[in-house]
Amino acid sequence: MKPISLIRLLSVAAVSLGVQFAGNAENTDFAWVGAVIHPVSGPIVSNATLVARADGRIASINSQGPPAGTATVDLSGLHLYPGLIASATTLGLIEIDSVRATVDTTEVGEFLPEAQAWQAVNPDSEVIPVTRANGITHAEVVPAGASVAGHSSVICLAGWTTEQMVRQRLAALHVFWPSFGLDLAPKSVRGDGWKSIEDQVKERTKSLRELDNYFDEAEAYVRLSQVRGNEPGFQQTPAWEAMRPVLQGAVPVLVHADDAAQIRSAAEWLVRRKFRGAIVGGLDAARCAELLATNHIPVIYTREFALPPRDSDPYDVQYATPSRLQKSGVTVIFGDGQGSASFVRNLPYSAGQAVAFGLSAEEALKGLTLYPATLFGLQASLGTLEPGKQADLVATDGDILDPKTSVKRMWIAGREVDLSSRHTRLYDRYRQRPKP
Amino acid sequence: MLVGAKVWLNADSIVTNATLVIRDGLIVSVGTDTAVPPEARVWDCHDQVIYPGFIDAHVIAGSARPPLAERGHPGSSDNHALTAAGGPYYGIATADRPTGTSILGDRLPSVTPERHLADAYVPPVKSIEELRDQGFTAANFSPSSGIFRGWSALYQLNAKSATEGLFRADTTAELALETQADSAYPGSLMGVIAVVRQTVLDARYQLETGNSATVLPGPGHRWATSAAAMAPFLTNAAPVVVEAGSVLMEDRLGQLADELGVSLHFVASGAEWRRPDLISRLVGRGTSWIVPIDFPSVPKFPSDLEWEQVGLDRLRSWDWAPENPAVLRQLNARVSLTTYGLSDLKEFRPNLRAALDRGFSERDAVAALTSEPARLCGVSDQLGTIAPGKIANLTLTSAAGYFEPDAKLLGVWIQGEPFLQPSASASNKVANLPGTTSDGGKEAASPSKATDEKKPDRKKELRELATRRVAQPPRRQVSAQDRPESVLLKSVTLWTCGPGGILTNASLLVSGGKIIAVGSSNTVIAPVGTLELDLPGLHVTPGLIDCHSHSMILGGVNEQTLPSTAMCRIGDVVNSEASTIHEQLAGGLTVANLLHGSANPIGGQNCVIKLREGAAPDDLKLAGAPGGIKFALGENVKQSNWGEHHTTRFPQSRLGVPVFYANRFTAARQYLEEWKAFAHSGGRKPHRDLELEALAEILEGKRWIHCHSYRQDEILAFLRTMESFGIRVGTLQHILEGYKVADEIARHGAGASAFADWWAYKYEVIDAIPYAGSLMRDRGVLVSFNSDSSDLARRLNLEAAKAVHYGGVPTEEALKFVTLNPARQLRIDRWVGSLEPGKDADFVVWSGGPLDVTSVCLQTWVDGIRYFDRSQEAERVKALTDERTALIAKARKLSGEDAGGPGGKPATPAGEERFFRTSLESSHAHQVVDCLDVDRATN
Repeated sequence: MKPISLIRLLSVAAVSLGVQFAGNAENTDFAWVGAVIHPVSGPIVSNATLVARADGRIASINSQGPPAGTATVDLSGLHLYPGLIASATTLGLIEIDSVRATVDTTEVGEFLPEAQAWQAVNPDSEVIPVTRANGITHAEVVPAGASVAGHSSVICLAGWTTEQMVRQRLAALHVFWPSFGLDLAPKSVRGDGWKSIEDQVKERTKSLRELDNYFDEAEAYVRLSQVRGNEPGFQQTPAWEAMRPVLQGAVPVLVHADDAAQIRSAAEWLVRRKFRGAIVGGLDAARCAELLATNHIPVIYTREFALPPRDSDPYDVQYATPSRLQKSGVTVIFGDGQGSASFVRNLPYSAGQAVAFGLSAEEALKGLTLYPATLFGLQASLGTLEPGKQADLVATDGDILDPKTSVKRMWIAGREVDLSSRHTRLYDRYRQRPKP
Repeated sequence: MLVGAKVWLNADSIVTNATLVIRDGLIVSVGTDTAVPPEARVWDCHDQVIYPGFIDAHVIAGSARPPLAERGHPGSSDNHALTAAGGPYYGIATADRPTGTSILGDRLPSVTPERHLADAYVPPVKSIEELRDQGFTAANFSPSSGIFRGWSALYQLNAKSATEGLFRADTTAELALETQADSAYPGSLMGVIAVVRQTVLDARYQLETGNSATVLPGPGHRWATSAAAMAPFLTNAAPVVVEAGSVLMEDRLGQLADELGVSLHFVASGAEWRRPDLISRLVGRGTSWIVPIDFPSVPKFPSDLEWEQVGLDRLRSWDWAPENPAVLRQLNARVSLTTYGLSDLKEFRPNLRAALDRGFSERDAVAALTSEPARLCGVSDQLGTIAPGKIANLTLTSAAGYFEPDAKLLGVWIQGEPFLQPSASASNKVANLPGTTSDGGKEAASPSKATDEKKPDRKKELRELATRRVAQPPRRQVSAQDRPESVLLKSVTLWTCGPGGILTNASLLVSGGKIIAVGSSNTVIAPVGTLELDLPGLHVTPGLIDCHSHSMILGGVNEQTLPSTAMCRIGDVVNSEASTIHEQLAGGLTVANLLHGSANPIGGQNCVIKLREGAAPDDLKLAGAPGGIKFALGENVKQSNWGEHHTTRFPQSRLGVPVFYANRFTAARQYLEEWKAFAHSGGRKPHRDLELEALAEILEGKRWIHCHSYRQDEILAFLRTMESFGIRVGTLQHILEGYKVADEIARHGAGASAFADWWAYKYEVIDAIPYAGSLMRDRGVLVSFNSDSSDLARRLNLEAAKAVHYGGVPTEEALKFVTLNPARQLRIDRWVGSLEPGKDADFVVWSGGPLDVTSVCLQTWVDGIRYFDRSQEAERVKALTDERTALIAKARKLSGEDAGGPGGKPATPAGEERFFRTSLESSHAHQVVDCLDVDRATN
């Protein structure tokens, strides 16, 4: 990923998306004053000033006020957060769940590492501004379905085209781990589709072997290509070429796994293959906390609001999982994972719920900022409010993780972003409807 | 003449070394000093036990289908089979509809009470032999499928010709709560019960009016059947045997039986242990149970991993199963036994032994195999005991008796004719002289003894392990509920949602389940003996109310087969055992409006419940709540997302929906007029039609419509259609575009029960906005937020918080979206919805502000009873976890030792399959039942 042209692209985006420059003049510093700043990288600063340069990067955060002559925006009474990053979403890939023509999440076939999610994102999706309006500035967009489903991408939730929006084309390779759940329904219920437990276990073993073989073959190809890649007659294979960055450690592997056995199996595989990676889903992750902590495998947790999976589970088992993971030393990132894109905007509330059930507010916020930025290799510019990082700023009237809170203003790379959406437009329109 | 045996004359008297004289198929005499007729052929039966010939009370004729309790249930995930029955039914009966299509009021193939099994049925030789091999001499054969199945018949198991075995026709009338396959009505449990009710009403109508026609008067066709065939259901003319499939349905039918004035007998579901309190209410009304002993076996799993997936309920079901017959007897229930549910009858005796090991007495077992089924079938004067004059039906075993599975079953006598096992015959057929002994009995158990003796201690240990129940009664936690007479909460912030507003440093006094006082802490004085809870810093709100729930519904949320199913009642299928009750209580929910789904324009009747965890289904209901009914518009009713095959059921567009309503209410108005005319001037009594009756109640203002509605055009069309019939709509549910027509809704006077922020999941919600609640409120509409989801129902407070976010509704008013406002919409605000003196003591204690994301529900009280206490949760969970761990330890040990069957016997494949059955009560556990199920149309 090369961030070189981003700012330029964004400023182009700014003009016609209704994005306003924060300052009057493009080449001067600009300051945000009066807000309670949540830098994520350090303690909360009250009545602080954040200064950004004309290139959209943060220059300083201080409590002395802006340098003389700097243009300022007054945020008194508001909170200022870094833009949130939503992981494991289908933003832009789904417009309306039940209208097949608007769904681009899933391909046919088991292995498709060539797929890159950003290429299928609809930049004009109505879901994107709606999501942005709740403080989310970036999202990981994930392909679904197959065993090796393809590469996710991180997109910025403002921009004209996919190329302008994408921040990390190869954010991660997504692998959907074979199911360890068994269909226990008896033959008399399941009918012709019934499979014995032994057969189900055999199928699982087979799937695991096929998955592993696929990676073996990819490795063999990469080794071979290093030796013979330049020889005439060497046939390039697109799928294996797509696996190259993963095998060379440049791209993490995110494995979708939920039940305890599945997570253990996936984690052990990541360790054995020496992949940098994470678990996505993580329903039972708290049961595997030690294994995950020891091997430094983060969890993109998408199950905050899942029902307890077992009838002897505590009612709050899923609410409390992030806290348990964190206390064991596992990094928790909050992900959507719902399939539908329309609920991504509620992701901050998942983190809020985790706080109610024991996770510290700081860790919850990191799970929506610093941790995903780091996982996706964007920590140099995203994830915290620190000098040198991009000024992606969200001004709210309260705790950004609380559903009562409204996002009042937003800036991406120092440029103000429009918070209107289909929802606000319809609201405004019908609020003004004359009494019949 | 049989000499020397130990004879069970009946369950209560045994004669040893008895002489039993049989002549012409009848018992002449029995006793120790009975006269020996010189011409008698003497059978030496020393070291043998003779029982009255066993009778199987319930054998399904010609079908290997598993019992209802073992079938799949239409849960939310299995509900893909939608209507194909369809047909152009526009809501009015038409003469020219195509044949083969079914509409409401048609005769149902599942209603055949006039079927007499004895007319045509001959038990196959194989069935007869299999039953005889287990010691049975007679069996009550029942028709195999349908709801009103017809009449059973008792056959003796000695048939050599087609007609010989029939002993008595029309012994019992059979009813089963069986949903219909292939999209035929009824496809849900509530539909089945509606069919039962209507069919009985139809028959009663015929009886009263003397109308013998098979088509009843009134528009359309009726589910007509002859009153004669229905006599047992009207006059107690014969015993009615019901397979209800679950203990909750036994409870439901018990009440229906009271309603109808008849007594019922049940084919036990095998899970009566779940709710012995419900069973004990049925005992003593003449009710008896026919108990299958089809117990589960522990399966062998490929690895230890698989045990992780075995839940507590499954393990409990396994561990309790053999004890179920004893549970029934401890409740003083009358019990007969049956082989029903066993695909291999050889499981019968080992399973029965397991039941005996668990406290079912030998005496009860003998009665359950002899006199009880004879009584049920009305043949006590001829069968069921050994006494002079009775038919000589006998069951013979070696000395150890029938209930030692290793003891040899020697055979049976039927009408004085011996049917002996080959080995028994060899030693017995020779007419030995009296006094000489046969060794037939002694060698009986020898084949298996050899293996038994290898490790007798081990074997004994395993049997003891199998015999010791580890599972706990599921209702144990109910006894842990805190039920103080009076409670005073002090030093709290009270969100009254009433005229008092928000009170800080306040007190709430409740007593006898009602709120006594609300006020500042120094003004509320508690009487002596009050439980005082000083909770500084905590917040207290009214219990939350969900105006749209599909949780806690048994056997299908939708009766989706017909476009109007107003006769179906959610109140018939409330699942008091659902784990979601506890989960929702833990989120502060105390009241839920349980609704039929939205698969058809006119759905079923609603049921408003309180979350009184552990109460019986009927005791969950909020007494006094006015009736309601689910209606639906839009994509679901026009089957837009049901796939390509669903294109023929009317209506298929928003053009047809109002037409359908108008037609149906026109019919209802005519129906009402008929009854009014009858009340006024007599004449022919109209026929009761439960569908039209429900619609007529709407016309009369006695039943409120809760209408699933999305787009503004359909909302207006609906409101205007209803207005044309003088109907005011109760609530518009979901009401996604309600904000566009808020003024019209306010003027009509309907409430809006909205989603907080759902959108974009289907085309008709493309214009849904989260500001809708706020905007509608601004325009004077009474607004609530609902869950429509067993997940969201656990945190409705956070849904309410979104009204603050989107549109700036004040916090206290937003809280009313999930308390007072839904109470007003459901017309239950006299009792619930706010903290005011005189209202029910339903309240929630929160760790902080109720709409704060970081707040946690600490306690939930309903009627002054603490149903949820977060500080008790760890203990509760530990008890459940320990129980599961202990059960798994037991199961694994038995499985590993090849003793996974009941009573420590080897597991059987059929038994293992039964291990995986899911009870009706738990079939929705761990699944979100909600409205997003576009392809399932459960919303």
